Amino acid sequence: MIVALQVVVGGLLLGAVYALFSSGLTLIWGMMNVVNFAHGDFVMAGMYLAFLAVVWLRAGPAVFTGVAAALLFLFGTAVYYGLVRRVMRGPVLSQILSTFGLALLLRYSAFWIFSANFVTLPTVALSGTVHLGPVVVGTAQLVAGGAALLLTAGMHRLLTATALGSQILAVAEDRQAAMLMGIRPDRMQALAWGLAAAAAGIAGALIATFYYISPTVGESLAIIAFVVVAFGGFGSVPGAMVAGLLIGLIEATSAFYIGPVYKDVVVYALFVAILWVRPQGLMGARL
Amino acid sequence: MRWRLALLAAAALAAPLLVQGSFYHRVLALILLVAISASAWNILGGYAGQVSFGHAMFFGAGAYMPALVYSQWHAAPALGVPLGVAVSLGIAAVLGVPTFRLQGHYFSMATIAVAELIRILVGNWRLLGAAVGLQGPATGRTLWDLTFRGSVSYYYIFLGVLAALLGITAAMERSRMGYYLRAIRSGERAARSLGVPARRYKLYALFLSAAFTALAGSLYLVMIGFVDPDSGLGILVSVQMVIVAALGGAGTLFGPLLGAAILIPLQQTGNVLFGGGGTGATYIFYGGIIIVLSLFEPGGLLAIWRERLAPLGGRWAGRPKGLRRAA
Amino acid sequence: MRHRLIVSAAVAVALAVCGPLPGSGAAAPVKIGVLMPLSGNAGAAGQASKAAIEVGAQIVNEAHPDMSNIPLAATAGLPKLDGARIELIVADHQGDPSLGQSEALRLITQQHVVALLGAYQSSVTFAATTVAERNGIPWMVGDSSSPNITGRGFKWVFRTTPIGPDFAAAYSGFLKDLETMGHPVRTVAIVNENTEYGTSVGGGIHERLAKDGYNVVAQIPYNANGTDVSAQVLQLKEKQPDVVIFVSYTSDSILYMKTFKTLGYKPKVVIGDDSGFSDPSFVTTVGDLAQGAINRSAWSVGKPGSTTYHINQLYRAKTGRDLDDTSGRNMQGFLVLADAINRAGSTNPEAIRAALVATNLAPRQLMMGYKGVRFDATGQNVLAYTYLTQLVGKEWVTVWPKSAEERALAWPFQGWQP
Repeated sequence: MIVALQVVVGGLLLGAVYALFSSGLTLIWGMMNVVNFAHGDFVMAGMYLAFLAVVWLRAGPAVFTGVAAALLFLFGTAVYYGLVRRVMRGPVLSQILSTFGLALLLRYSAFWIFSANFVTLPTVALSGTVHLGPVVVGTAQLVAGGAALLLTAGMHRLLTATALGSQILAVAEDRQAAMLMGIRPDRMQALAWGLAAAAAGIAGALIATFYYISPTVGESLAIIAFVVVAFGGFGSVPGAMVAGLLIGLIEATSAFYIGPVYKDVVVYALFVAILWVRPQGLMGARL
Repeated sequence: MRWRLALLAAAALAAPLLVQGSFYHRVLALILLVAISASAWNILGGYAGQVSFGHAMFFGAGAYMPALVYSQWHAAPALGVPLGVAVSLGIAAVLGVPTFRLQGHYFSMATIAVAELIRILVGNWRLLGAAVGLQGPATGRTLWDLTFRGSVSYYYIFLGVLAALLGITAAMERSRMGYYLRAIRSGERAARSLGVPARRYKLYALFLSAAFTALAGSLYLVMIGFVDPDSGLGILVSVQMVIVAALGGAGTLFGPLLGAAILIPLQQTGNVLFGGGGTGATYIFYGGIIIVLSLFEPGGLLAIWRERLAPLGGRWAGRPKGLRRAA
Repeated sequence: MRHRLIVSAAVAVALAVCGPLPGSGAAAPVKIGVLMPLSGNAGAAGQASKAAIEVGAQIVNEAHPDMSNIPLAATAGLPKLDGARIELIVADHQGDPSLGQSEALRLITQQHVVALLGAYQSSVTFAATTVAERNGIPWMVGDSSSPNITGRGFKWVFRTTPIGPDFAAAYSGFLKDLETMGHPVRTVAIVNENTEYGTSVGGGIHERLAKDGYNVVAQIPYNANGTDVSAQVLQLKEKQPDVVIFVSYTSDSILYMKTFKTLGYKPKVVIGDDSGFSDPSFVTTVGDLAQGAINRSAWSVGKPGSTTYHINQLYRAKTGRDLDDTSGRNMQGFLVLADAINRAGSTNPEAIRAALVATNLAPRQLMMGYKGVRFDATGQNVLAYTYLTQLVGKEWVTVWPKSAEERALAWPFQGWQP
């Protein structure tokens, strides 16, 4: 019983982090219908930025997360202006080409700069453990899971309860109409890219506290993000939140009760089954 | 336009004679192999606009069956080729019915999920060699093993298959099916309202695409002599087909061949130039070129060709329609 | 027309870039091809091995009288080939079997290498060795341990490294010796990653230990790219085995040690099957959490002044890191190959093959802890052997077998400082 609880808590904490980096992907995917193949590599960039902040500035968790968020926000907007804006209205396949190229570029730039060797965050601030009743969790996992949940909720609130958010959604709904209302779609879309990248960066910094860092780490995270986004419904942040938590939970329980090799089988099979029943994903309020 | 086609055919037939050295012969053969799989993907992903990221499952079926025939019964791998195509069509039938209810990205994601599912299952299936993979004959016992020392024989086999595939595609392009698929691509709902039996024709496209992708997989196995879950069913196998077709121009007859003719030498030279240094510069170079191409010509290289260099572009090259976004 | 233009333009680029270079003069360098995964997931291991082989070439090409027990070290170049130097042609196969074949073919036909060395992942070694076999060029396997690589009836493939059954025998012997040391162990769990390496090695260990009377309470295969390993650790915690054996790559080994600490789990013995545990990143990232872990290794730095110590100094000077077992086995493979080429006295592949077949090196002529090098009919080194080491501080010190012991075994696994 205690073990079962341990499995569930661990799965949910990891799922919260999945939810955070997937929420960025779902935002731009749903809003602009652009598939970002480089999203996992944005997370990787966040991890390395956090690493540099710790090594150079001896930064604490709040600072290195902030650094990763700020720099990736800038990077996200730059990617929008430099790349996405130019291919966005083109055929879907050229978007795929461009973000795939970007993914390779990011991944192997990291490879060049940091070499292929694995590193971990040299921090001791979050290395302890916390007892939640009978359940033991790492402080880092707890902080990361909690922060991710709050930030994902914050992202949802930003989109639904602020003027800025409604402007972003308005552009997503109907670009022309939004322009007539005096909204500048370019700025809103750049903002959305910045937010998405920042979410990925924060997620990267949070994951780095309990995970290893390597140039290719984004690859497996990207597949998770794709599944979470489709599972939850493209463009739905609450959908990503629910799907992220659900996938974390399913992975943990199936890994424990069925076998670690089959956890992805369960996730993918469930995903295909859900799409069969609900072709628009769990919360597919298509934007 | 016929003389151009004839010239292309003559060039293709003569290429291995004009180029010396077995490494270059191999590069030429690989170009054709990649062109076959990308052209097969193109029928569904390009013409019908159903962007699949899971074609590795068909490729893998085609690669695994000949290897299985060899490892189980020591029979010639070629005997497994029809089996591979049959398995591939079986998967397509099971997959096509439910997933074609899905639109746009949901379809793409479902194909990734199914392909990954199959990869993991095969990776744990002892009959199929599990994680270790299966091997073909290392040295040919008879001609039927199709194990040649040089790559020229493979080149001509691949050329024959590619010619057949492109011939079928060209015929399809001009037939009713071609019009239906283009209608589906530019908007399925609209196509349906015009009386196009969309579901049925998408399935036809899937079957044709799956059969030839499986054939490409079989040819891969025969040439490489080895397949494991990553090289036969990995997501990169699927992604390569998409990238090659998109680069050359998806939904055009010769786009995938052009994409392969550019990308494969680029990959190989990039690796020769930068690979030995071990800095990952190969991929930086490769990624950079892909970005530049996508920025300057969203319709693929064939569109550049057609617009800038051959304004009178032939009928056989298809119209420069480009792909509109699905959904 | 246009298409032919494109194809020929592309081919012209390829020709211009990698066209054959004219060979030159007397005592022309002897070219050896090195195929490693220098990018992709195994990039770190491939790069470390590449550096090790380069140090090996340095040892052969320059005079190193301080390591005169190693063949060819004392003299500069290959004496029987007029002092010819060895030139390495390194290629990246990215972990892709097809690219491995292409690069092997290019090295053979364009660069005219006389022998090849590689290729880390067994899948690539499988596929690429067929090219060497068909072209009649010797291939030295320094580290791929899948049993099937040799024994396919190939004439041109040789392997110096120990393989799965050798590892299993070492673990069984070690556990037996623990009993005589007063630490009897009964129950074992094997945790293996589920690609070719983990599956075949993990299965081999399971079989051997069960046969030798140990109770294998669990064998847990898992996917090395997974994001979380707590399910596996919780399973171990439930089964309470005395010994846990990991057959793991780097990323997952790091995660296991981190998760051990998070979940407060310490079995009596933790054994890592080389690979991930031997990656220098393992010690720098989680060394503090894995004190007392046992690792398989045929490499030991040795005492200051010893040959292995000098070799490690050279490697350190080049990379800033200590030599690890995987890279060391590749360097050893290279040195054996270089010695055979020298004994052949020619760059004729058939002569090199004959020299390889006749190889008979004694332990003192090796840098790795093998019992010697002698190939059987399949090309496998029958004298391949391995030590077991233990992590103390930031060093792996040899603790088994008794004959090679540098330091007495610390018992039990301590993990981290409380």
